[in-house]
Amino acid sequence: MIQLHHVNKRFEQFEAIKDVSLTIDKGEIYGIIGASGAGKSTLLRLINLLEVPDTGAVEVNGRDLTKLRGKRLRDARKSIGMIFQGFNLVANKTVYENIAVSLELSNYPRKERRGRVEECLRFVGLEDFMKKYPAQLSGGQKQRVAIARALANKPEFLLCDEPTSSLDPNSTAEVLKVLEDVNKRLGVTIVIVSHEMDVIKSLCTQVTVMANGEVYETVRTKPKGVKHIDNNPKYFVDQLAKDGEVDRA
Amino acid sequence: MPEILVQYEAQIWQAIGETFIMVGVSILAAVLLGLPVGTLLYLCRKGNLLENRVAFSTLNLLVNIIRSFPFLLLVVFLIPFTRLIIGTAIGTAAATVPLAIIAIAHYSRLVEQTLLDVPKGVLEAAVSMGASVRSVIFKFLYVEARSGLVVGLTTSIISFISYSTIMGVVGGGGIGDFAIRFGYQQFKTELMMYMIVIMVIFVQIIQFTGMTVARMIDKR
Repeated sequence: MIQLHHVNKRFEQFEAIKDVSLTIDKGEIYGIIGASGAGKSTLLRLINLLEVPDTGAVEVNGRDLTKLRGKRLRDARKSIGMIFQGFNLVANKTVYENIAVSLELSNYPRKERRGRVEECLRFVGLEDFMKKYPAQLSGGQKQRVAIARALANKPEFLLCDEPTSSLDPNSTAEVLKVLEDVNKRLGVTIVIVSHEMDVIKSLCTQVTVMANGEVYETVRTKPKGVKHIDNNPKYFVDQLAKDGEVDRA
Repeated sequence: MPEILVQYEAQIWQAIGETFIMVGVSILAAVLLGLPVGTLLYLCRKGNLLENRVAFSTLNLLVNIIRSFPFLLLVVFLIPFTRLIIGTAIGTAAATVPLAIIAIAHYSRLVEQTLLDVPKGVLEAAVSMGASVRSVIFKFLYVEARSGLVVGLTTSIISFISYSTIMGVVGGGGIGDFAIRFGYQQFKTELMMYMIVIMVIFVQIIQFTGMTVARMIDKR
Protein backbone atom coordinates (compact mmCIF):
# COMPACT_ATOMS: atom_id res chain seq x y z
CA MET A 1 0.00 0.00 0.00
CA ILE A 2 1.18 3.50 -0.85
CA GLN A 3 -0.02 6.45 1.19
CA LEU A 4 0.79 10.09 0.73
CA HIS A 5 0.03 12.28 3.73
CA HIS A 6 -0.30 16.04 3.18
CA VAL A 7 2.56 16.17 0.74
CA ASN A 8 3.87 19.52 -0.50
CA LYS A 9 6.51 20.24 -3.11
CA ARG A 10 7.65 23.58 -4.41
CA PHE A 11 10.15 24.41 -7.15
CA GLU A 12 11.47 27.84 -6.29
CA GLN A 13 8.37 30.07 -6.59
CA PHE A 14 6.16 27.41 -8.13
CA GLU A 15 3.98 25.27 -5.88
CA ALA A 16 3.94 21.99 -7.80
CA ILE A 17 2.11 19.89 -5.23
CA LYS A 18 -0.20 21.40 -2.61
CA ASP A 19 -1.21 19.33 0.38
CA VAL A 20 -1.95 16.09 -1.47
CA SER A 21 -3.05 12.98 0.38
CA LEU A 22 -3.99 9.74 -1.28
CA THR A 23 -4.04 6.00 -0.75
CA ILE A 24 -3.18 3.40 -3.35
CA ASP A 25 -4.26 -0.09 -2.37
CA LYS A 26 -2.40 -3.24 -3.11
CA GLY A 27 -3.22 -4.85 -6.44
CA GLU A 28 -4.77 -1.76 -7.97
CA ILE A 29 -4.03 -0.04 -11.24
CA TYR A 30 -4.20 3.54 -10.10
CA GLY A 31 -4.43 6.35 -12.61
CA ILE A 32 -3.37 9.96 -12.21
CA ILE A 33 -4.63 12.25 -14.93
CA GLY A 34 -4.63 15.98 -15.48
CA ALA A 35 -3.52 18.77 -17.79
CA SER A 36 0.12 19.61 -18.39
CA GLY A 37 1.59 21.26 -15.34
CA ALA A 38 -1.10 19.88 -13.05
CA GLY A 39 1.58 18.17 -11.00
CA LYS A 40 0.86 14.56 -11.90
CA SER A 41 4.43 13.59 -12.83
CA THR A 42 5.83 15.31 -9.78
CA LEU A 43 3.32 13.45 -7.65
CA LEU A 44 4.47 10.13 -9.10
CA ARG A 45 8.13 11.00 -8.60
CA LEU A 46 7.42 11.75 -4.95
CA ILE A 47 6.41 8.14 -4.41
CA ASN A 48 9.96 6.80 -4.88
CA LEU A 49 11.51 10.03 -3.67
CA LEU A 50 12.99 11.01 -7.04
CA GLU A 51 11.56 14.29 -5.81
CA VAL A 52 11.83 14.84 -2.10
CA PRO A 53 8.69 16.42 -0.63
CA ASP A 54 9.16 19.65 1.33
CA THR A 55 6.64 18.50 3.90
CA GLY A 56 4.43 15.47 4.38
CA ALA A 57 5.03 11.76 4.51
CA VAL A 58 5.37 9.12 1.79
CA GLU A 59 4.48 5.76 3.24
CA VAL A 60 5.14 2.59 1.28
CA ASN A 61 3.93 -0.51 3.09
CA GLY A 62 3.72 1.47 6.29
CA ARG A 63 7.28 2.77 6.12
CA ASP A 64 7.87 6.51 5.71
CA LEU A 65 10.42 6.82 2.90
CA THR A 66 11.15 10.46 3.72
CA LYS A 67 12.80 9.24 6.93
CA LEU A 68 15.20 6.91 5.07
CA ARG A 69 18.68 7.89 3.91
CA GLY A 70 21.48 6.30 1.90
CA LYS A 71 21.43 2.56 1.57
CA ARG A 72 18.05 2.07 3.25
CA LEU A 73 16.39 4.45 0.80
CA ARG A 74 18.13 2.73 -2.12
CA ASP A 75 16.92 -0.65 -0.89
CA ALA A 76 13.38 0.67 -0.58
CA ARG A 77 13.55 1.93 -4.16
CA LYS A 78 14.41 -1.55 -5.39
CA SER A 79 10.91 -2.73 -4.49
CA ILE A 80 9.39 0.08 -6.56
CA GLY A 81 9.96 -0.28 -10.31
CA MET A 82 9.61 2.71 -12.58
CA ILE A 83 9.20 3.33 -16.30
CA PHE A 84 9.35 6.63 -18.15
CA GLN A 85 7.97 8.37 -21.21
CA GLY A 86 11.46 8.47 -22.75
CA PHE A 87 12.19 4.81 -21.80
CA ASN A 88 15.59 5.81 -20.36
CA LEU A 89 17.41 2.68 -21.41
CA VAL A 90 21.20 2.76 -21.52
CA ALA A 91 21.85 3.08 -25.26
CA ASN A 92 25.31 1.52 -25.02
CA LYS A 93 24.06 -1.60 -23.27
CA THR A 94 22.31 -4.48 -24.98
CA VAL A 95 18.78 -5.40 -23.99
CA TYR A 96 20.26 -8.16 -21.83
CA GLU A 97 22.71 -5.81 -20.11
CA ASN A 98 20.04 -3.20 -19.51
CA ILE A 99 18.02 -5.66 -17.50
CA ALA A 100 20.99 -7.41 -15.87
CA VAL A 101 22.28 -4.12 -14.43
CA SER A 102 19.21 -3.87 -12.26
CA LEU A 103 19.98 -7.35 -10.89
CA GLU A 104 23.63 -6.38 -10.31
CA LEU A 105 22.50 -3.39 -8.27
CA SER A 106 20.50 -5.59 -5.94
CA ASN A 107 23.20 -8.28 -5.69
CA TYR A 108 20.98 -10.87 -7.28
CA PRO A 109 22.91 -14.19 -7.22
CA ARG A 110 25.28 -14.09 -10.19
CA LYS A 111 24.43 -17.55 -11.48
CA GLU A 112 20.71 -16.89 -11.55
CA ARG A 113 20.90 -13.57 -13.37
CA ARG A 114 20.78 -14.92 -16.88
CA GLY A 115 17.73 -17.02 -16.14
CA ARG A 116 15.96 -14.11 -14.50
CA VAL A 117 16.67 -11.77 -17.43
CA GLU A 118 15.33 -14.38 -19.85
CA GLU A 119 12.25 -14.85 -17.73
CA CYS A 120 11.54 -11.11 -17.70
CA LEU A 121 12.07 -10.81 -21.44
CA ARG A 122 9.77 -13.74 -22.08
CA PHE A 123 7.13 -11.99 -20.00
CA VAL A 124 7.22 -8.92 -22.24
CA GLY A 125 7.55 -11.07 -25.37
CA LEU A 126 11.06 -10.02 -26.35
CA GLU A 127 13.13 -13.12 -25.60
CA ASP A 128 14.74 -12.99 -29.05
CA PHE A 129 16.00 -9.44 -28.60
CA MET A 130 18.60 -10.05 -25.90
CA LYS A 131 21.62 -9.09 -27.96
CA LYS A 132 20.08 -6.07 -29.63
CA TYR A 133 20.82 -2.47 -28.67
CA PRO A 134 17.98 -0.04 -27.88
CA ALA A 135 18.65 1.88 -31.12
CA GLN A 136 17.58 -1.25 -33.02
CA LEU A 137 14.15 -1.42 -31.33
CA SER A 138 10.83 0.32 -31.95
CA GLY A 139 9.38 2.61 -29.29
CA GLY A 140 6.99 -0.04 -28.05
CA GLN A 141 9.77 -2.60 -27.81
CA LYS A 142 11.95 -0.16 -25.88
CA GLN A 143 9.17 0.43 -23.40
CA ARG A 144 8.70 -3.32 -23.00
CA VAL A 145 12.40 -3.70 -22.27
CA ALA A 146 12.05 -0.91 -19.71
CA ILE A 147 9.15 -2.84 -18.14
CA ALA A 148 11.26 -6.01 -18.06
CA ARG A 149 14.05 -4.03 -16.39
CA ALA A 150 11.65 -2.61 -13.82
CA LEU A 151 10.27 -6.10 -13.09
CA ALA A 152 13.63 -7.83 -12.75
CA ASN A 153 13.84 -7.27 -9.01
CA LYS A 154 10.30 -8.53 -8.45
CA PRO A 155 8.96 -5.18 -7.25
CA GLU A 156 5.63 -4.84 -5.50
CA PHE A 157 4.90 -1.55 -7.24
CA LEU A 158 5.41 -0.21 -10.73
CA LEU A 159 5.33 3.54 -11.34
CA CYS A 160 4.61 4.54 -14.94
CA ASP A 161 5.31 8.13 -15.99
CA GLU A 162 3.46 8.77 -19.27
CA PRO A 163 4.41 5.27 -20.43
CA THR A 164 2.71 5.49 -23.82
CA SER A 165 2.79 9.21 -24.56
CA SER A 166 5.53 8.96 -27.17
CA LEU A 167 4.14 5.83 -28.84
CA ASP A 168 1.88 5.24 -31.82
CA PRO A 169 -1.52 3.55 -31.28
CA ASN A 170 -0.21 0.04 -31.97
CA SER A 171 2.72 0.32 -29.62
CA THR A 172 0.46 1.91 -27.03
CA ALA A 173 -1.85 -1.09 -27.12
CA GLU A 174 1.14 -3.42 -26.97
CA VAL A 175 2.55 -1.71 -23.87
CA LEU A 176 -0.84 -1.45 -22.15
CA LYS A 177 -1.41 -5.18 -22.67
CA VAL A 178 1.88 -5.89 -20.96
CA LEU A 179 1.02 -3.58 -18.06
CA GLU A 180 -2.33 -5.31 -17.67
CA ASP A 181 -0.48 -8.63 -17.53
CA VAL A 182 1.98 -7.30 -14.99
CA ASN A 183 -0.92 -6.45 -12.74
CA LYS A 184 -3.04 -9.56 -13.32
CA ARG A 185 -0.40 -12.27 -13.49
CA LEU A 186 2.26 -10.89 -11.18
CA GLY A 187 0.00 -8.99 -8.81
CA VAL A 188 2.08 -5.84 -9.09
CA THR A 189 0.37 -2.64 -7.98
CA ILE A 190 0.61 -0.10 -10.80
CA VAL A 191 0.43 3.67 -10.73
CA ILE A 192 0.04 5.29 -14.15
CA VAL A 193 0.41 8.97 -14.87
CA SER A 194 -0.99 9.96 -18.23
CA HIS A 195 -2.74 12.79 -19.99
CA GLU A 196 -4.39 10.31 -22.36
CA MET A 197 -7.93 9.50 -21.26
CA ASP A 198 -8.03 6.25 -23.27
CA VAL A 199 -5.00 4.90 -21.51
CA ILE A 200 -6.43 5.64 -18.07
CA LYS A 201 -9.88 4.30 -18.95
CA SER A 202 -8.60 1.05 -20.37
CA LEU A 203 -6.67 -0.06 -17.28
CA CYS A 204 -7.42 1.86 -14.13
CA THR A 205 -9.54 0.80 -11.18
CA GLN A 206 -9.20 4.11 -9.42
CA VAL A 207 -8.29 7.50 -10.85
CA THR A 208 -7.21 10.77 -9.30
CA VAL A 209 -7.74 13.91 -11.33
CA MET A 210 -5.12 16.54 -10.61
CA ALA A 211 -5.48 20.28 -11.18
CA ASN A 212 -3.04 23.03 -10.19
CA GLY A 213 -1.06 20.74 -7.93
CA GLU A 214 -4.12 19.60 -6.00
CA VAL A 215 -6.35 16.55 -6.03
CA TYR A 216 -9.48 17.66 -7.88
CA GLU A 217 -11.32 14.41 -7.39
CA THR A 218 -10.71 10.70 -7.05
CA VAL A 219 -13.12 8.29 -8.71
CA ARG A 220 -13.54 4.53 -8.90
CA THR A 221 -13.69 3.26 -12.46
CA LYS A 222 -14.24 -0.01 -14.22
CA PRO A 223 -11.35 -0.78 -16.54
CA LYS A 224 -12.52 -1.06 -20.14
CA GLY A 225 -9.70 -3.32 -21.24
CA VAL A 226 -7.07 -2.63 -23.84
CA LYS A 227 -8.54 -1.88 -27.24
CA HIS A 228 -7.45 -4.18 -29.96
CA ILE A 229 -5.75 -2.10 -32.55
CA ASP A 230 -5.37 -3.13 -36.13
CA ASN A 231 -2.11 -2.69 -37.82
CA ASN A 232 -3.54 -1.64 -41.14
CA PRO A 233 -4.05 1.85 -42.57
CA LYS A 234 -7.80 1.27 -42.66
CA TYR A 235 -7.83 1.62 -38.89
CA PHE A 236 -6.56 5.18 -39.17
CA VAL A 237 -9.11 6.04 -41.85
CA ASP A 238 -11.93 4.57 -39.74
CA GLN A 239 -10.80 6.52 -36.72
CA LEU A 240 -10.74 9.67 -38.80
CA ALA A 241 -14.18 8.99 -40.24
CA LYS A 242 -15.72 8.16 -36.86
CA ASP A 243 -16.06 11.68 -35.47
CA GLY A 244 -16.81 13.63 -38.57
CA GLU A 245 -16.92 13.72 -42.27
CA VAL A 246 -13.87 12.79 -44.20
CA ASP A 247 -13.55 14.38 -47.56
CA ARG A 248 -11.93 11.66 -49.59
CA ALA A 249 -9.62 13.34 -52.00
CA MET B 1 66.69 6.91 -45.67
CA PRO B 2 67.86 10.53 -46.21
CA GLU B 3 71.46 11.02 -45.16
CA ILE B 4 70.65 13.70 -42.62
CA LEU B 5 68.31 11.36 -40.73
CA VAL B 6 70.98 8.68 -40.66
CA GLN B 7 73.47 11.19 -39.34
CA TYR B 8 71.19 12.22 -36.45
CA GLU B 9 69.51 8.87 -35.92
CA ALA B 10 70.56 8.44 -32.31
CA GLN B 11 69.41 11.93 -31.30
CA ILE B 12 66.14 11.54 -33.16
CA TRP B 13 65.33 8.29 -31.37
CA GLN B 14 66.18 9.90 -28.09
CA ALA B 15 63.93 12.88 -28.87
CA ILE B 16 61.08 10.56 -29.82
CA GLY B 17 61.60 8.66 -26.56
CA GLU B 18 61.43 11.92 -24.58
CA THR B 19 58.25 12.95 -26.35
CA PHE B 20 56.74 9.55 -25.55
CA ILE B 21 57.60 9.91 -21.87
CA MET B 22 56.18 13.43 -21.66
CA VAL B 23 53.00 12.62 -23.56
CA GLY B 24 52.65 9.26 -21.78
CA VAL B 25 52.74 10.88 -18.35
CA SER B 26 50.24 13.50 -19.55
CA ILE B 27 47.86 10.75 -20.68
CA LEU B 28 48.20 8.94 -17.37
CA ALA B 29 47.51 12.15 -15.46
CA ALA B 30 44.53 12.91 -17.68
CA VAL B 31 42.96 9.49 -17.15
CA LEU B 32 43.85 8.94 -13.49
CA LEU B 33 43.12 12.48 -12.28
CA GLY B 34 41.48 14.45 -15.09
CA LEU B 35 38.65 11.94 -15.41
CA PRO B 36 37.73 12.05 -11.70
CA VAL B 37 38.05 15.85 -11.59
CA GLY B 38 35.83 16.21 -14.67
CA THR B 39 33.33 13.77 -13.17
CA LEU B 40 33.26 15.77 -9.93
CA LEU B 41 32.75 18.99 -11.87
CA TYR B 42 29.77 17.35 -13.52
CA LEU B 43 28.32 15.78 -10.37
CA CYS B 44 28.69 18.92 -8.23
CA ARG B 45 26.96 21.12 -10.78
CA LYS B 46 23.54 22.51 -9.88
CA GLY B 47 20.78 19.95 -10.28
CA ASN B 48 23.13 16.99 -10.43
CA LEU B 49 23.69 14.05 -8.12
CA LEU B 50 26.23 15.59 -5.72
CA GLU B 51 25.14 19.21 -6.13
CA ASN B 52 27.60 21.27 -4.12
CA ARG B 53 28.11 24.92 -4.88
CA VAL B 54 31.35 25.36 -2.99
CA ALA B 55 33.02 22.28 -4.46
CA PHE B 56 31.85 23.15 -7.95
CA SER B 57 32.97 26.79 -7.82
CA THR B 58 36.36 25.87 -6.36
CA LEU B 59 37.11 23.19 -8.95
CA ASN B 60 35.73 25.29 -11.74
CA LEU B 61 37.88 28.27 -10.80
CA LEU B 62 40.99 26.12 -10.41
CA VAL B 63 40.56 24.51 -13.81
CA ASN B 64 39.90 27.91 -15.39
CA ILE B 65 42.98 29.47 -13.82
CA ILE B 66 45.27 26.67 -14.99
CA ARG B 67 43.80 26.83 -18.45
CA SER B 68 44.14 30.64 -18.66
CA PHE B 69 47.91 30.56 -18.23
CA PRO B 70 49.83 30.80 -21.47
CA PHE B 71 51.47 27.38 -21.20
CA LEU B 72 55.02 28.70 -21.30
CA LEU B 73 54.27 30.90 -18.27
CA LEU B 74 52.66 27.98 -16.44
CA VAL B 75 55.88 26.01 -16.88
CA VAL B 76 57.93 28.85 -15.41
CA PHE B 77 55.40 29.55 -12.68
CA LEU B 78 55.46 25.90 -11.58
CA ILE B 79 59.26 25.68 -11.31
CA PRO B 80 59.31 25.85 -7.48
CA PHE B 81 56.57 23.22 -7.28
CA THR B 82 58.38 20.98 -9.75
CA ARG B 83 61.60 21.31 -7.76
CA LEU B 84 59.67 20.34 -4.64
CA ILE B 85 58.33 17.06 -6.01
CA ILE B 86 61.01 15.99 -8.54
CA GLY B 87 64.04 17.54 -6.86
CA THR B 88 65.04 19.48 -9.96
CA ALA B 89 63.30 21.78 -12.40
CA ILE B 90 65.38 20.68 -15.38
CA GLY B 91 65.09 17.59 -17.58
CA THR B 92 62.45 15.29 -19.00
CA ALA B 93 61.17 14.12 -15.60
CA ALA B 94 60.77 17.71 -14.42
CA ALA B 95 58.99 18.60 -17.65
CA THR B 96 56.27 16.04 -16.93
CA VAL B 97 55.03 18.05 -13.93
CA PRO B 98 53.57 21.08 -15.74
CA LEU B 99 52.45 18.78 -18.53
CA ALA B 100 50.55 16.58 -16.09
CA ILE B 101 48.89 19.61 -14.54
CA ILE B 102 47.72 21.10 -17.81
CA ALA B 103 46.64 17.59 -18.88
CA ILE B 104 44.37 17.24 -15.84
CA ALA B 105 42.82 20.67 -16.40
CA HIS B 106 42.42 20.12 -20.13
CA TYR B 107 40.87 16.66 -20.02
CA SER B 108 38.66 17.33 -16.99
CA ARG B 109 36.91 20.08 -18.94
CA LEU B 110 36.29 17.77 -21.88
CA VAL B 111 35.04 15.05 -19.52
CA GLU B 112 32.63 17.50 -17.91
CA GLN B 113 31.27 18.57 -21.30
CA THR B 114 30.87 14.99 -22.46
CA LEU B 115 29.03 13.95 -19.31
CA LEU B 116 26.67 16.92 -19.62
CA ASP B 117 25.46 15.35 -22.86
CA VAL B 118 24.34 12.12 -21.20
CA PRO B 119 20.53 12.15 -21.09
CA LYS B 120 19.41 12.94 -17.54
CA GLY B 121 16.65 10.37 -17.80
CA VAL B 122 19.13 7.51 -17.89
CA LEU B 123 20.57 8.60 -14.56
CA GLU B 124 17.09 9.06 -13.17
CA ALA B 125 16.27 5.50 -14.14
CA ALA B 126 19.46 4.40 -12.37
CA VAL B 127 18.47 6.22 -9.19
CA SER B 128 14.96 4.78 -9.37
CA MET B 129 16.56 1.31 -9.48
CA GLY B 130 18.32 2.07 -6.22
CA ALA B 131 21.78 2.68 -7.67
CA SER B 132 24.39 4.32 -5.43
CA VAL B 133 26.35 7.30 -6.74
CA ARG B 134 29.27 4.98 -7.46
CA SER B 135 27.05 2.62 -9.46
CA VAL B 136 25.46 5.51 -11.32
CA ILE B 137 28.93 6.66 -12.39
CA PHE B 138 30.40 3.33 -13.43
CA LYS B 139 27.37 1.38 -14.61
CA PHE B 140 25.47 4.21 -16.32
CA LEU B 141 27.28 7.53 -16.75
CA TYR B 142 30.59 6.25 -18.14
CA VAL B 143 28.89 3.54 -20.19
CA GLU B 144 26.69 6.08 -21.91
CA ALA B 145 29.48 8.64 -22.33
CA ARG B 146 32.25 6.27 -23.30
CA SER B 147 32.69 7.23 -26.96
CA GLY B 148 32.69 10.93 -26.08
CA LEU B 149 35.29 10.27 -23.40
CA VAL B 150 37.50 8.56 -25.98
CA VAL B 151 37.06 11.37 -28.51
CA GLY B 152 37.90 13.89 -25.78
CA LEU B 153 41.01 11.96 -24.79
CA THR B 154 42.10 11.84 -28.43
CA THR B 155 41.77 15.61 -28.73
CA SER B 156 43.62 16.01 -25.44
CA ILE B 157 46.51 13.75 -26.45
CA ILE B 158 47.06 15.81 -29.57
CA SER B 159 47.16 18.96 -27.45
CA PHE B 160 49.62 17.23 -25.10
CA ILE B 161 51.95 16.57 -28.03
CA SER B 162 51.76 20.23 -28.90
CA TYR B 163 52.43 21.29 -25.29
CA SER B 164 55.36 18.88 -25.08
CA THR B 165 57.15 20.57 -27.99
CA ILE B 166 57.98 23.64 -25.93
CA MET B 167 59.45 21.73 -22.98
CA GLY B 168 62.89 22.48 -24.35
CA VAL B 169 62.78 25.61 -22.20
CA VAL B 170 63.33 23.47 -19.11
CA GLY B 171 65.53 20.91 -20.83
CA GLY B 172 62.69 18.48 -21.34
CA GLY B 173 63.87 17.55 -24.81
CA GLY B 174 61.51 15.86 -27.23
CA ILE B 175 60.94 16.11 -30.95
CA GLY B 176 59.88 19.75 -30.90
CA ASP B 177 62.97 20.76 -29.00
CA PHE B 178 65.18 18.75 -31.35
CA ALA B 179 63.56 20.39 -34.38
CA ILE B 180 64.20 23.85 -32.96
CA ARG B 181 67.75 23.29 -31.79
CA PHE B 182 69.07 21.25 -34.69
CA GLY B 183 66.71 22.14 -37.48
CA TYR B 184 66.01 25.81 -36.89
CA GLN B 185 68.92 27.15 -34.91
CA GLN B 186 71.53 25.27 -36.95
CA PHE B 187 69.81 26.18 -40.22
CA LYS B 188 69.13 22.53 -41.15
CA THR B 189 65.68 23.30 -42.56
CA GLU B 190 65.45 19.84 -44.09
CA LEU B 191 65.88 18.23 -40.69
CA MET B 192 63.19 20.48 -39.24
CA MET B 193 60.81 19.50 -42.00
CA TYR B 194 61.40 15.80 -41.31
CA MET B 195 60.58 16.37 -37.64
CA ILE B 196 57.35 18.08 -38.61
CA VAL B 197 56.50 15.11 -40.81
CA ILE B 198 57.08 12.76 -37.87
CA MET B 199 54.70 14.84 -35.73
CA VAL B 200 52.08 14.88 -38.46
CA ILE B 201 52.28 11.08 -38.70
CA PHE B 202 51.89 10.72 -34.92
CA VAL B 203 48.88 13.00 -34.86
CA GLN B 204 47.27 11.16 -37.78
CA ILE B 205 47.74 7.79 -36.10
CA ILE B 206 46.32 9.02 -32.81
CA GLN B 207 43.36 10.75 -34.42
CA PHE B 208 42.55 7.73 -36.57
CA THR B 209 42.87 5.26 -33.71
CA GLY B 210 40.81 7.43 -31.36
CA MET B 211 37.98 7.95 -33.82
CA THR B 212 37.92 4.28 -34.81
CA VAL B 213 37.70 3.13 -31.20
CA ALA B 214 35.02 5.74 -30.44
CA ARG B 215 32.94 4.58 -33.38
CA MET B 216 33.28 0.92 -32.43
CA ILE B 217 32.07 1.41 -28.87
CA ASP B 218 29.22 3.75 -29.77
CA LYS B 219 25.93 1.84 -29.96
CA ARG B 220 23.62 4.81 -29.57
